[in-house]
Amino acid sequence: MSNVSFCCYEQADVMKCVDTIVDKCTDPGCCLSRMRPRYKRLVDNIFPSVPQEGLVKNNMEKLTFYALSSPEKLDRIGEYLFQKASRDISRKRNEFVMIAMEAMDQLLVACHAQTLNLFVESYLRIVQKLLESSEPSLQILATQSFVRFSNIEEDTPSYHRRYDFFVSKFSSMCHNNNANLATLEMIRMAGIKGIQGVIRKTVSDDLVENIWEPVHMDKIVPSLLFNMHTMKSKSDIVVESGISEEVNDKNDAFSLAESCLRELIGRASFGHVKSVIRPVLKHLDAHHMWVPNVFATQCFRILMFSIQSQYSYAVVETLMTHLDENSNASPKIRTSIADVLSKIIAIAANESVGPTVLEIINSLLTNLRTSVTRRPPSNIGLAESDGENEYREALIHALGEFAAHLPDYQKIEIMMFIMSKVPQLKSSNNPNDLHVQRMCLKSLLMVSTKYCSVQMNATFPQSFLDLLLKTLTASEDEIRFIVLRILHTLLDRHNNASKFSKATVNITKSEINLEKCSRSDTIFIRKHAQDIYVSIYECLEITNNTVDNVEAVYTTLALICIELLSEETVLDFIRLILSIQELAITNAVLSTQQKFHLHALVVSIMLLVAIIIDLHPLKIYINKIIEQRKLLNATHLLPELSIHNEIKSISLLPAGVLIEEPELTEALKASGIDITKTGPVLTHRRSWVENTNMSMKGSYTDLSNLDLDSVNSTPAMQRRFSPNEDLSFEAMKRSLLDNPAVKAEQNTRQTQLCDLYRNASFQDLVAISTASKDEESLHTKITDVFNKVDLSNKLSAIETNNNSKPIYETLFPELFAF
Amino acid sequence: MEDYKFLFKVVLVGNAGVGKTCLVRRFTQGMFPPGQGATIGVDFMIKTIEIDNEKVKLQIWDTAGQERFRSITQSYYRSAHALILIYDITSQPTFDCLNDWLREIDEYANNRVLRVLVGNKIDKEDREIPSHVGQDFAQRHDMRYLETSAKQADNVEKLFVQIASELMEQAKSKGISTESPQSLPFNTRTSKTINDFCCNR
Repeated sequence: MSNVSFCCYEQADVMKCVDTIVDKCTDPGCCLSRMRPRYKRLVDNIFPSVPQEGLVKNNMEKLTFYALSSPEKLDRIGEYLFQKASRDISRKRNEFVMIAMEAMDQLLVACHAQTLNLFVESYLRIVQKLLESSEPSLQILATQSFVRFSNIEEDTPSYHRRYDFFVSKFSSMCHNNNANLATLEMIRMAGIKGIQGVIRKTVSDDLVENIWEPVHMDKIVPSLLFNMHTMKSKSDIVVESGISEEVNDKNDAFSLAESCLRELIGRASFGHVKSVIRPVLKHLDAHHMWVPNVFATQCFRILMFSIQSQYSYAVVETLMTHLDENSNASPKIRTSIADVLSKIIAIAANESVGPTVLEIINSLLTNLRTSVTRRPPSNIGLAESDGENEYREALIHALGEFAAHLPDYQKIEIMMFIMSKVPQLKSSNNPNDLHVQRMCLKSLLMVSTKYCSVQMNATFPQSFLDLLLKTLTASEDEIRFIVLRILHTLLDRHNNASKFSKATVNITKSEINLEKCSRSDTIFIRKHAQDIYVSIYECLEITNNTVDNVEAVYTTLALICIELLSEETVLDFIRLILSIQELAITNAVLSTQQKFHLHALVVSIMLLVAIIIDLHPLKIYINKIIEQRKLLNATHLLPELSIHNEIKSISLLPAGVLIEEPELTEALKASGIDITKTGPVLTHRRSWVENTNMSMKGSYTDLSNLDLDSVNSTPAMQRRFSPNEDLSFEAMKRSLLDNPAVKAEQNTRQTQLCDLYRNASFQDLVAISTASKDEESLHTKITDVFNKVDLSNKLSAIETNNNSKPIYETLFPELFAF
Repeated sequence: MEDYKFLFKVVLVGNAGVGKTCLVRRFTQGMFPPGQGATIGVDFMIKTIEIDNEKVKLQIWDTAGQERFRSITQSYYRSAHALILIYDITSQPTFDCLNDWLREIDEYANNRVLRVLVGNKIDKEDREIPSHVGQDFAQRHDMRYLETSAKQADNVEKLFVQIASELMEQAKSKGISTESPQSLPFNTRTSKTINDFCCNR
């Protein structure tokens, strides 16, 4: 080192230097020296006559011994050394300054008495003095010494020591812009090391100085970050040129700054986390480092990994707040911030507990919502809205990432929480609300994909299931689709969903991952079957269902079938399927295409049920129907679901292609499914199906012509059971051929009413009639209706020998009690 | 030797390229660095001057004018005793930004900080801001005003000497014994020990 600085001086300078020193050093030798205090003599003696000789070791030992044996003199030694050193600094005798520093360092290390405190005062003043000089070598020397000092553990607190100058100066050194690159890097690294030293000195000692004050942090953190991103490029080059990273680890400003930052955040307590993060955010803002966000991500990952893990969510929170503050920034910046968030949020998830989780989720959802509502309704620039979309995607992604790392029970909580945030608007005109709903559901879908169902009753708490099913009947097909997908992910425990993404009749049992349905699942499906089936049914009733929707319903049903059905619960399911078929036959509002899709859905699901539950006769029957459909060239009733434009309306539903209830009953009986046992459930189920139909059509079905309809419908019913004519086919044909809308409507109404009054119990009828709000004529009507029902039952009873006997009669002999 | 009686911190602020670094260089090193690059972060200089036979040490923090360093430069305002706000008299935009700078100063600096407005580069021919405009502005905002040329060393010495003596006045009016010149929490120890030190001698 001395050689280096030696070179910096002219030969003449050095000679002059040496001369003066020789002068001075002769002093102690003369008679005057006797009058000088001993400590001064000892200090003087450690300096060589020629600076190149370095510290006089023997005399240094003497000085150390003296300082140790009489520690009370230590402060004076320090004072005197300081005077000497500052004189040397101002006279630019750098070699002697270095010797003085070396001596001070040695004394610091050697003495650990309480009196060190005062000595340190003088010591720090020298360091400051050195740092104030514009000489790089002195600055570096001071830093090196300071770093050594910072590693000394002081046992006495230093109440009045202040490091503000050091922080300021070291930070400024971190930004050094020396023309010489090597010097530049050396000074910057010295600055970083110095900061590290200050941190070490101060964080452990509460009494010194609050390093966490914004005044300090605003200097320290940007300095470190600045070095991390400016020196990064250089170390990249080094790596590329083949030198392994371990070699220059710790040796370049980048990794030094990084480790310093790690140390800093690692020592931060909860209250201090924010004072570290805030400057980071400020710095990233000021340097426009969000787009691209490579550095920001790197930076936050460093923070997340180094912070005491219990505080990690505070980082997330702060970043989230920053996102809020930047709500007016360009979508690109927000997307980037959200992206960073998504990359670090997982790290925090492990440690987050209780309310913080929901807080984070809530904040994300709020951001989503504001993003949606921000959308200017009039002038949506294409690029603008694109950015906005990406931002939303990033937010949802962040949400998913976060949820993925939470324990399962919390995922359910989160799903319920998100669900509760979904605006429940059935007839929403506000596109924003719709959008919010879509976004919320998308995030829910994201969370649900991270969730792994074990028990269905745990996955679907009542309130969650209710909301979910309610949304299943939303008016937007897209939203229903998302809900169905949520159901898929939650139901699918054995990765079957992909196999059933399209309706199919070519499935074998071996392809399906099956597990015996557990007891609790059976209980679950028994408890909730009604609600689930009703919702699915209603969902299919909605007219804007696309092929995707129907296929999604298929997947849902298939998954229910695989995951939840057992022999005890299969019957309800089969009834649902039958209702769907009926819907396809009777519904007037659905398009022909949709009806075809429903038929295909019905047959493929029925087959699947037969396969899963091992109902062999049923399987044979269904296969027969499938064959029949193929034979009669009614492939539009089979999967794939697609738009069958080429099909002429004639021969849409040829005879024998439908699943007929009597045959089904036989098949089920043959399989050993006890039909009678679950009779009441069926009644109940029927009544709900009809009820919903009623309430749906209620608007145009007024009770005054109810009688008439009933009367009209009776012959129709008669016809239906004539052996050589398939009514449903006939009805369908007619409805499609002549004046389809009116005819179909009429037909449906007839059939519905007919079915209703034939099958419903008295109580149900009362309920329906009351619901129709026509109470005056209630009694007479009921009696009328009652008579007709009675009559029709008798009529049906007469024709029991017909082989196309309706299933409900077989199923409900007790109905004949009327 | 550490024989100064006062230590003042002076921070220079202003748009990029108005000549902050040159002004400091001229003052501390007596030279005008041609082709001075943009300052990064914060630069530090020290200069001891003598006023009324008393040595005053000036710690001069020369901040970067570039926007991206604003976060770090702001952190230096708080500890300042005096702020020198510089604009380029040949560049209207640098003058227009003064309001922004004042807002920043109000936000981050101590409210009793001594503020000086400096119009630099008077050696240049193509002046855009007449002297009286700067004067008016300074008066309106309760600032000292001075026009300098770092290149020709016009008024540079005077600027710093004025600041130092004013700060010294302030400090003396509060009494030397009561610690630092301006009751900044920051500098207490340093000046106290300095005073002690001086008394010991």
